[in-house]
Amino acid sequence: MSDILSRRALLGGALALGGASLLPARVAAAPLAKVREIGALRIAVYADNRPWSWDDHGTVRGIDADLGRALATKLGVRADVVAFMPGDDLGADFRNTVWRGGLLGFQVCDVMLHVPFDHDLMMKNDQVAIVAPYYREGFAMVCGNEQSDCEILPPQLHGRRLAAETASVSDAYLVGGFGGLLRSNVHHYQGGYEAAEAVAKGDADAALATRAQVESVLHDYPGKDLHRRKGPIPAMVSPGWDIAMAVKDNSRTLGDALETIVADMIRSGEMASLFGGHGVEWHAAIAA
Amino acid sequence: MKSRLKRGLGGLALGSLTMTCAIALSAPAIAADGPTSQDILNDAQSTGDVLSYGMGPWAQRFSPMTQLNSDNVKGLVPVFASSLGGEKQRGQESQPIVYDGTIYVTGSYSRVFAFDSRTGEKKWEYDARLPDGIMPCCDVVNRGAAIHGDKIIFATLDAHLIALNRHTGKVIWNKTIADYQAGYSATAAPMIVKDMVIYGNSGGEFGIVGRAEARDVNTGELIWSRPTVEGNMGTLHGQDNGITGKLNATWPGDMWKTGGGATWLGGTYDPGTNLIYMGTGNPGPWNSNMRPGDNLYTASTLAIDPDTGTIKWHYQTTPHDGWDFDGVNEFIPFDATINGKPMKLGAKADRNGYFFVLDRTNGKFVSANKFVMQTTWANGYNPKTGRPNFIDDNRPGAPNGAEKGKSVFASPSFLGGKNWMPMAYSQATGLFYIPSNDWGMDIWNEPITYKKGAAYLGAEFTIKPIAPDHIGALRAMDPTTGKIVWEYKNKAPLWGGVLTTAGNLVFTGTPEGYLKAFDARTGQELWKFQTGSGVVGSPITWEQDGEQYVAVMSGWGGAVPLWGGEVAKTFKEISQGGSLWVFKLPKH
Repeated sequence: MSDILSRRALLGGALALGGASLLPARVAAAPLAKVREIGALRIAVYADNRPWSWDDHGTVRGIDADLGRALATKLGVRADVVAFMPGDDLGADFRNTVWRGGLLGFQVCDVMLHVPFDHDLMMKNDQVAIVAPYYREGFAMVCGNEQSDCEILPPQLHGRRLAAETASVSDAYLVGGFGGLLRSNVHHYQGGYEAAEAVAKGDADAALATRAQVESVLHDYPGKDLHRRKGPIPAMVSPGWDIAMAVKDNSRTLGDALETIVADMIRSGEMASLFGGHGVEWHAAIAA
Repeated sequence: MKSRLKRGLGGLALGSLTMTCAIALSAPAIAADGPTSQDILNDAQSTGDVLSYGMGPWAQRFSPMTQLNSDNVKGLVPVFASSLGGEKQRGQESQPIVYDGTIYVTGSYSRVFAFDSRTGEKKWEYDARLPDGIMPCCDVVNRGAAIHGDKIIFATLDAHLIALNRHTGKVIWNKTIADYQAGYSATAAPMIVKDMVIYGNSGGEFGIVGRAEARDVNTGELIWSRPTVEGNMGTLHGQDNGITGKLNATWPGDMWKTGGGATWLGGTYDPGTNLIYMGTGNPGPWNSNMRPGDNLYTASTLAIDPDTGTIKWHYQTTPHDGWDFDGVNEFIPFDATINGKPMKLGAKADRNGYFFVLDRTNGKFVSANKFVMQTTWANGYNPKTGRPNFIDDNRPGAPNGAEKGKSVFASPSFLGGKNWMPMAYSQATGLFYIPSNDWGMDIWNEPITYKKGAAYLGAEFTIKPIAPDHIGALRAMDPTTGKIVWEYKNKAPLWGGVLTTAGNLVFTGTPEGYLKAFDARTGQELWKFQTGSGVVGSPITWEQDGEQYVAVMSGWGGAVPLWGGEVAKTFKEISQGGSLWVFKLPKH
């Protein structure tokens, strides 16, 4: 934490003040005092990102949606959870949701959830501060009825129907790994939840996705004969990553308040039970 | 008559009935009131109007007019400038349409304007209501409208096709052509062929498949749809019409379902062969090591039968693309003599830095020549196979475990030797005038990038200039020899279209704000005018009241300002804007 705080202390002043003065007051992100004055916290979450955030008949549901509402409640304000469409990279998401707003009228939010707590990302995006890591993400494999042994070496899955999210690291692992042996067995899905769900629905024999995606599918399909791999996934390039939140660089007071709230929620067990409500086992972020 | 009498019993109903009848009676007259598909085919010859994107179905952007010429162009002065108004001052990449005393032009943010072509007074404005949730990847541009009968037709950022009454700006029909929530968008000018609106689609980098489609110009109903990636099913009148290509011939697994190949720049049409030519975008995902094979028909030009929506031939400019070399650029039909033989040809200046000449009747390779300073990814094309001589060392490497893949310096950069901006062909000089850019990039594949809060594979790149004095270069290319006849260098990247005339003139705009005129034979700069903002639109010319007019949109924007680095230094002082400028010679 210390290096991100000092970075903000160094950059926060000049850059953020210059930017803020150019923005009309109504679109400027509200730091803590302003959030309280307005009485609402505007929270950006990804659209179509089950189990974190997805649209359920007009209501945004999911772990991030619940967390956003909890943050607002603890600040004593109303939660305004807004689902947005992801851009080509996180720089675009920060620009659209945190510091500039969309070119077509999307108003900036006070905080964006589900941001990787990643050093390179922080360095490349001076306009935001990435704070309050709240989960450690990783990978998981789930197998269905046809492939009851989920502990085999991945090359042994040759000929099985495999599922992964398009262009995800799971996809790269299955399509690009083992000399491309499994390449033509991989079926692509829009999201990792949908890939794991394909196993639950019998459309695939095994899926590789994130831990949260697999666990929530296991939770949502309780009657199915699904097996989660217990052993590690060999030669996986990513050791996992921490998930945090982003505020505008001049919203330090808000960022600090959110860090305190997250720490309290973790200490009290509220965070773990919030995740548990979606069938996901909470893991502490390594950076936290 | 019965129902009319019955409804006539109520006073209010009678009122509305009368109005309905009036509209019904005048409807045929309105439909006939305006250009027909035949008029649009003749657009290149009819100097009194501009009825299509590209000034004719071949989109040569050539005018036979000579009143304005290289001797007198220095006297060209503005007639008026009309502002698009509002706060939406960015990215005016449109080409105006001129008909019956009106200039129709699309603006950024999916707007359409009708201006009086003599006074510049605004007649009407249409603002598409866009969902605030859309966040386009590459600015909020629109490249132009189509005209047919009483309609002005254009595409919107949320992937709708809208037909407006050209007299009133009121909506006649409005069709969803793709799901913006799935990442689709539309920015190109539609094309009219045989009373059909022909258009393509655009979208983000992941998960979409390109399509060419045709709709009934009068109703907006879909007639055919042709996916650009092998394995996907086409339709004709709502029925299956065969898959594109051959399943899994050049794509592994089910990756063809999300293979890219967006048709984001629209097409051209050749009445002689009855073929629509449409370019296709790069394949996905970016890391080419994931998808061994040619990945047909991405980064290609497709020749499509407008009557059935089937592909008659294809030519792939970048097989197995690994540099984001979209193949969307316009394929411009022209006739020339090659090795003593008169031929029906077509030419395309590709993102990958090569200028292609093909036999437009069958797609056979004729030649490919460099039109930029360097191409590091290939060393020319094999004339026998029509395939590039790849320089294997300069393909970005696959990531090795958690290590990033080998970084390579690639030129052109992914923004291309030529991006969207259309070139022109002069029937007077036999030369193509290509708005090009000399720049390169370091590009490498990352084992992990973060997107949507999660780990994805991805490519990273840094764009850089490769010459000390310029990025942009307007180049005159002889298509029969592949030689550059002249070039004009510009400090900032060129991002606007080109116009050429039989008056020995070539016009194009610069980000620095100038509309410039050059001698078509020598490249000598003959005239320039500062429009107050960067020019990234496409100029046109037409005859009105016996005088020759020139018009262009001014308003800096497009994809270039969104990319930073050293390149940004060449345009950081440029102000945004949004105006239509119209010029002519003073009356003596």
